Amino acid sequence: MEVIRATDLGIRFKVGKRKRTSARNIVVGGFRRRGGESDDFWALRHVSFTVNKGDTVGFIGRNGSGKSTLLRVVGGIYPPDEGEVSVQGSVSTQFSLGAGFQSELSGVDNIYLNGILMGLSKKYIDSVLDDIIEFADIGDFINMPVKTYSTGMESRLGFAIAINVHKDIVLIDEILGVGDVEFRKKCEERLDKVMGERTILLVSHEMNAIRRFAKKVIWLDRGQIMAQGEPEEVIQQYLGS
Amino acid sequence: MIEQFKNIWGRRELVYYLVTSELKAEHKTKVLGFLWSFLDPLLLMATYILLVVLIFDRGGPQFPVLLFCAILSWRWFTSSLSVAVTSITSKSRVVQTTYFPLAVLPLAGIIAGLVDYLVAFVILIPLLFAFDATFTVNVLWLPVLIIVQLVITIGAALFCAALGTYLTDLKNIVQFILRLGFYLSPILYSVTETVPERFETYYMLNPFAALIESYKNILVRGTPPSGYMAIAAAVAVIVFLVGFWYFGREEHRLVKAI
Repeated sequence: MEVIRATDLGIRFKVGKRKRTSARNIVVGGFRRRGGESDDFWALRHVSFTVNKGDTVGFIGRNGSGKSTLLRVVGGIYPPDEGEVSVQGSVSTQFSLGAGFQSELSGVDNIYLNGILMGLSKKYIDSVLDDIIEFADIGDFINMPVKTYSTGMESRLGFAIAINVHKDIVLIDEILGVGDVEFRKKCEERLDKVMGERTILLVSHEMNAIRRFAKKVIWLDRGQIMAQGEPEEVIQQYLGS
Repeated sequence: MIEQFKNIWGRRELVYYLVTSELKAEHKTKVLGFLWSFLDPLLLMATYILLVVLIFDRGGPQFPVLLFCAILSWRWFTSSLSVAVTSITSKSRVVQTTYFPLAVLPLAGIIAGLVDYLVAFVILIPLLFAFDATFTVNVLWLPVLIIVQLVITIGAALFCAALGTYLTDLKNIVQFILRLGFYLSPILYSVTETVPERFETYYMLNPFAALIESYKNILVRGTPPSGYMAIAAAVAVIVFLVGFWYFGREEHRLVKAI
């Protein structure tokens, strides 16, 4: 069953119009309601792919190729400017390190805040709180303000939340590249466990992680799909480019 | 628009969490914590008493409590707008990660301000007694005034939140307008004694002129709200609709603009 379908998807960032700007730019450039096409920057264009339920799809490509933008589209953050995207099911969108964390508050407070942001109820979070704390495994730090955390601890907690709440689709952006060996192993074991029951989109520069988990790989370059399909084939094409 | 309302109402638990975590974080970082909810307006009041009573030799016997009423209301409005202008850009990492109705961010700032406002009544009520305020049935207008202020604040805050995401300078502009509004509203003075009669109609078109004068009337003077409150309420509805419309139109473009 298909849970994600993107058809001729395009995401355009406007440079000079509706972009964050300053009064000086507006005064100098005038309110250009019709900024020329030449000002536009397409972060993604003509992107079409499908993802089946329970599959793990890996996204590879150089920095700035549009991988994270693509996850944001699936997460509902960027509506497409061109083409269509349909996503069936709930999405766990904790794919950036430490995002959503209110740094003055404790780890526990932040678990609630993040969960509620994702649209979960307090009652549900109560029921998975212990799992999250156990998985993050950062000891007494869980009751300390998040600002005292190391980067590694932040990402541990972030990943623990993303993987322990029940969502149909999990978006993971480079999370396997951080943390110590032990935690990475734990994450990979957990991924093994949920693979099949949940659909996972995985962005990584670690080809070994991609090889291990992905059933299908999509290679993006400058916002376009260069190749997609059999993991090893696509990885070889990418590495050979 | 009804769709938007439903969306936000459906996420009221999120608003509640944003407000409590904001207040908690704010108070946790300070030695005096939540006492600043009282100290802030009290210190502000002391400053203006110094200015008006000691330097300008003005203000009547009830001046301190009239001033305090006005400061509380104005403080709620200014804090709401100051938060709103940067409410989306300051949470850029969150909004780029998780999808939720963005309007909850400025709304949380407004509600946190409202909590501060209501908490300060703990100080206001003894002050009312100390300065011999006249209590009448008119005090029952209070919830109505608060709702009118809430409506106007939501409209203005939504507008600022959306435009402030595109235009970084809005923060400075809003700060200037708020400063101007402070002097153009009857905070340091009263309308009848100070504003020349021929300007009064224009002066009272400022909804906060009517609102603040009305707060003073019902809480301290024991008289009904200013007759200009009807205009203020109409302005409030217009501001609300404009803010809501503009925010709704821009919402899906905002995250991309960060």
